[in-house]
Amino acid sequence: MSEAPLIETRGVTKVYDHGPGAAAVEDFSIEFHAGDFAAIAGPSGSGKSTLLNIIGTLDKPTAGEVLYEGGGVSGLAVEELSDFRLRSLGFVFQAYNLIPVLTAVENAEYPLVLQGAARAERRRRALEVLGWVGIEDLAHRRPDRLSGGQQQRVAVARAIVHGPKVVLADEPTANLDSKTAASLLDLMESLNRERGVTFIFSSHDPAVLGRARRVVQIRDGRLAGDSSK
Amino acid sequence: MLTLAWRNVWRNRRRSLITIASLAFGLSAIMFGQSLLKTLQSQLIEKSTGTITGHLQIQHRNIKDYKFPERYIDDPGPAEAALKAHPRVKSFGKRIHVTGLVSSPVTSSGVLIAGVEPSRESRVTSLSSYLTQGAYLKDGAHGVVMGEKLAQKLDLRLGEKAVVMAQAVDGSMGAEAVRLVGLYRTGSTIFDTQIIYVPLATLQEVLGVGGKVNHIVVRIDDIMETDAARRELAETLGNQPVQVLSWKNVDREILGIQRFQNGLLKVVLVVVFLIVALGILNTLLMSLFERVREFGVLMAMGARPSWVMRLVLFEAASLGLVGAVLGLVLGAAIIAHYGRCGLHLPLGEAVSYFLPFPSTLYLRPAWASHAGAALCVMATSFLAALPPALRAGGLKPAEALRHV
Repeated sequence: MSEAPLIETRGVTKVYDHGPGAAAVEDFSIEFHAGDFAAIAGPSGSGKSTLLNIIGTLDKPTAGEVLYEGGGVSGLAVEELSDFRLRSLGFVFQAYNLIPVLTAVENAEYPLVLQGAARAERRRRALEVLGWVGIEDLAHRRPDRLSGGQQQRVAVARAIVHGPKVVLADEPTANLDSKTAASLLDLMESLNRERGVTFIFSSHDPAVLGRARRVVQIRDGRLAGDSSK
Repeated sequence: MLTLAWRNVWRNRRRSLITIASLAFGLSAIMFGQSLLKTLQSQLIEKSTGTITGHLQIQHRNIKDYKFPERYIDDPGPAEAALKAHPRVKSFGKRIHVTGLVSSPVTSSGVLIAGVEPSRESRVTSLSSYLTQGAYLKDGAHGVVMGEKLAQKLDLRLGEKAVVMAQAVDGSMGAEAVRLVGLYRTGSTIFDTQIIYVPLATLQEVLGVGGKVNHIVVRIDDIMETDAARRELAETLGNQPVQVLSWKNVDREILGIQRFQNGLLKVVLVVVFLIVALGILNTLLMSLFERVREFGVLMAMGARPSWVMRLVLFEAASLGLVGAVLGLVLGAAIIAHYGRCGLHLPLGEAVSYFLPFPSTLYLRPAWASHAGAALCVMATSFLAALPPALRAGGLKPAEALRHV
């Protein structure tokens, strides 16, 4: 643990302008390391999504800072932040959020499109990753012809296709039935173990949290616990 | 990005089709208007230059009212020589236009008396093509050609005599008996009831002006070269007491009509483009509000705000391009139809009071203007997309992802 953490939050606080005034996240300091399979746990409204958004550079903290491999990202300009996310982060959302007019493989390859990768190379890579998540045979279906579990697998493929440093997943199993959720967690876990993908995901479901090797508890925006298996 | 933009356009097929249809109909309506105006204006110019003004006129240098030159060219010889030698000149004829009276045994009528060189005039203007009875004037004969309506009013028939009277240059009243040799019908009230044609020599006798004329009318090979020919002839005749005028100088009303029509078309263009712009703006704003979350996802993946803006602009450009292409096809089909079958316009009848003018117009395309209109449609689509594009580019990813 002597190496610099992959992600570090230092005294991160977020107060919404339009909110009641209380901080959504308050003085939150934590470190995540490469290879983590960590969950941020807490009840609804506890600040999980806000914290993930701040870690994912989708939102700026009101105070404090976020560092990646020892370097601060809070001061980056909007376009620099976009480039940073494009290189370093992958996202999985609760509602899958696939682009409905693109097929599964087109969705999966989109980060590579944004990176300007050659068509043949990005298609090869997207098909490869779809193979990892077990839906290569559905590559040319559009999202409306995929089940929720299949869509979320495409979302995972999209999140890892460009080899990010970390995948941030905001309640990735919340819209799935328990069997499909377990299957998705199996997938995420195997990607973490076999391919070294770092996952940080939020959830309030004990069954999901039970699968994480590290659980960070958040209550009312504050760090309430940090336990590892 | 182009693939995504194109598919996004067809995400809401009905809405996009309505927008594209409004673009296409708007453009085709503009093309129809442009073609109608071009046809109308070129007909006006053709008829005016082909029946009365010619492409160029040579008049005395000190004349103010070019339509009714009140001074005579004492020696038209040098001008004639210059015209014969000029490569762009197709034909020309000397003329005298003067107001006077034509009388029959029954009654008389005030008219514009046009003294023309018969053999030359028929190569400069097309009046002889409107003859319905008899023949056109012949050099050296004391004939008169007039409209059927005027002859009816004077109760004159072919072969009967009329008297042409006008004030001579010495102030006396000159008169000459002429035989009615030809009748024409142009459809123009002015031409059919208020102008008569006599040989130039006859009118010169009536007026006592010897070999003088008050203008020489010129037809050149290509009307587009009018200004160049005018400059060259003016240079050649620089030492003569004459001036070279183009039809634009003589018939300024046509230029006024052109300017008015062009101005009117511009107003219509602006209105149509505004409607098009509002249609595009509405479509893209609706599309933007429906896809805020999706833009948030793209931004989370690493799409720059400028990339998101370009995506929206590409979508608008796709709509504009499809609308413009369809509009061009539809507009060209409409113009081709009316080019073949003709378009009956009451406007033609109104104009024909002054000039022989067809009431049925056969539309001609104005491709340069049509291409300009199509480019304007695309540019309008693009400009109308700027507000939604800026809005999309300005979204904050976390807020966009929370959008429901």
